[in-house]
Amino acid sequence: MADAAPAVPGDPPARATVLDSLGEDITRIVYPVSACMLLVVLLVSLLSSPDSPSPLTASIAAATGGGGGGGDNIPTALITALTFVVTVTAATFLLALLFYLRCTPCLRAYLGFSALAVLLVLGGQVALLLLTRLRLPLDAVSFALLLPNAAGALALAALAPASVPIALHQAALVAIAVLTAFWFTLLPEWTTWALLVAMAVYDLAAVLLPGGPLRVLLELAIERNEEIPALVYEARPVDPRHGRNWRLWREGRQPGGDLDASSTTVEVIEEVLGRHLDANSGNGSSPQFREAATSAGDVNNSRPQATLAAALSSSDFTQAEVVPALQEHRVAVAEMRVPLIQPRPERSGEEEEDEDGIGLSSSGAIKLGLGDFIFYSVLVGRAAMYDYMTVYACYLAIIAGLGITLLLLAFFRKALPALPVSIALGVVFYVLTRTLLEEFVVQCSTNLLMF
Amino acid sequence: MEARVAGVPEDEESGLLPRPSTAGRRPSSRGPRFPPPPAAWATVDGPLGLPLEEAEGHARRFFLWGFACLPFLWAINCCYFWPVLRSPAAFSPAAFGSIRPYVVRSAIGFTIFSVVLITWATTFIVGGERLFGPGWNDLVMYNVADKLGLSGFMG
Repeated sequence: MADAAPAVPGDPPARATVLDSLGEDITRIVYPVSACMLLVVLLVSLLSSPDSPSPLTASIAAATGGGGGGGDNIPTALITALTFVVTVTAATFLLALLFYLRCTPCLRAYLGFSALAVLLVLGGQVALLLLTRLRLPLDAVSFALLLPNAAGALALAALAPASVPIALHQAALVAIAVLTAFWFTLLPEWTTWALLVAMAVYDLAAVLLPGGPLRVLLELAIERNEEIPALVYEARPVDPRHGRNWRLWREGRQPGGDLDASSTTVEVIEEVLGRHLDANSGNGSSPQFREAATSAGDVNNSRPQATLAAALSSSDFTQAEVVPALQEHRVAVAEMRVPLIQPRPERSGEEEEDEDGIGLSSSGAIKLGLGDFIFYSVLVGRAAMYDYMTVYACYLAIIAGLGITLLLLAFFRKALPALPVSIALGVVFYVLTRTLLEEFVVQCSTNLLMF
Repeated sequence: MEARVAGVPEDEESGLLPRPSTAGRRPSSRGPRFPPPPAAWATVDGPLGLPLEEAEGHARRFFLWGFACLPFLWAINCCYFWPVLRSPAAFSPAAFGSIRPYVVRSAIGFTIFSVVLITWATTFIVGGERLFGPGWNDLVMYNVADKLGLSGFMG
């Protein structure tokens, strides 16, 4: 570092600041969320036709006795949403129980089954819809050959991140989220909105209340220092100190053990900021985020494992078709021991799962549960069914909500749910756009004032 | 292991652990703690991917499982071990030598599969009813889906 920028006194030019990597950290989580939403909007635009209600809508209407408007009225919506939330809560408690009884194989098997089912069944349905709607003349033989193959490969990529390129793993998770979100947009309108609001409230309660299922599961995982298998999207880590992306993927960090047990999600941001601050303060003995060679005896990650069990992101409607509850199991992260770091103590595979929350992984990358992807995309997809104006407004609202959640994460340093802020903003913006903005824009356009 | 990259310290671990004796060997601009990773990485993810000792077993497993009518596993194998595929046989590190046969065979297998599939699909699409006669309508996917009611679930 012989060259010192003359304009910057006392600041070594090679040292990265918080902004250098925090921006990229956030970008790396905003990209997949945006991609997921974009794909859902595309699918919705291509495939949905307002004149023919989907059979799902019809079956819900029939099962709930059909109120006014073919089952798309508020009481029905509330009942359906409540049923869904109750089912998800029950399933999360069941997951916590299984985890308590250490039935990890059955959790993993369930995770594998649900991922494969989503990709095969829902993926096949979407593919068939696309083929039919667009009249693509693909033959049955190729389809029968390609679909199970693609579903199997993507399921493998989603569940075993160690065996596939990181990009493929992330793409598989996004694919699962897109398919599930598209399925949810097939619900009737009021039901969808009620469901979104109910899930946001549930997320808030489950993560923050002492008796909430996600919190219970999280604390269980932390006190046992185990990982809960679940599907969580983990952004590729960015290493600010090296100035490039060489990073020890999922290297166990040995943080100062002052993080309390419940800080799963927010740890990340905190550690990222702490890391940056430490790096910036120029001390030679920077926090051992990477090497962790200091705590030789501390084999397990002393950092509390943020492992919120994957709550169900989809429930089975008692009336409608039963969808296999999509539990997000974070696959036990195979420890990626870099051969260069021989002397480092071996970390047990750690996992932070944050089913509906947001957090940081041990390597400092931001993690976001697939449930968040799904419900963000459901909101935007449902907005797409009205008009693209609402899509833009809701997209901005959700990204803003995500940013706010990350900020809160840094402040509070404990597990936080990622749904409530974004969903609240999204719903508010949807309503405002639909009632106020649209009127304004239409008036402006018809009076040739603004297009 | 003998994977070496030119210009990198001999001892692959020396760069990471701060040792005063090796201070002279590292480029000073990088500071005492984070020299460049000296080993050659077999996977496309580099240091984030599989370590070299597990790479061979992994490549073999994917190659063998690909025969179970799962040619996409071959594609994953090729993509994942792209550095192995790209480096010419004469210059690649010794550790790649055991991985290379599996990856190359996976690449060949996937190429054959995709050529066959694309040929068939293109023939089907372009040929249409002229070539296949009325049987074309029985084979095209949207008719099959309608007949079997497969897409009724989502409408």
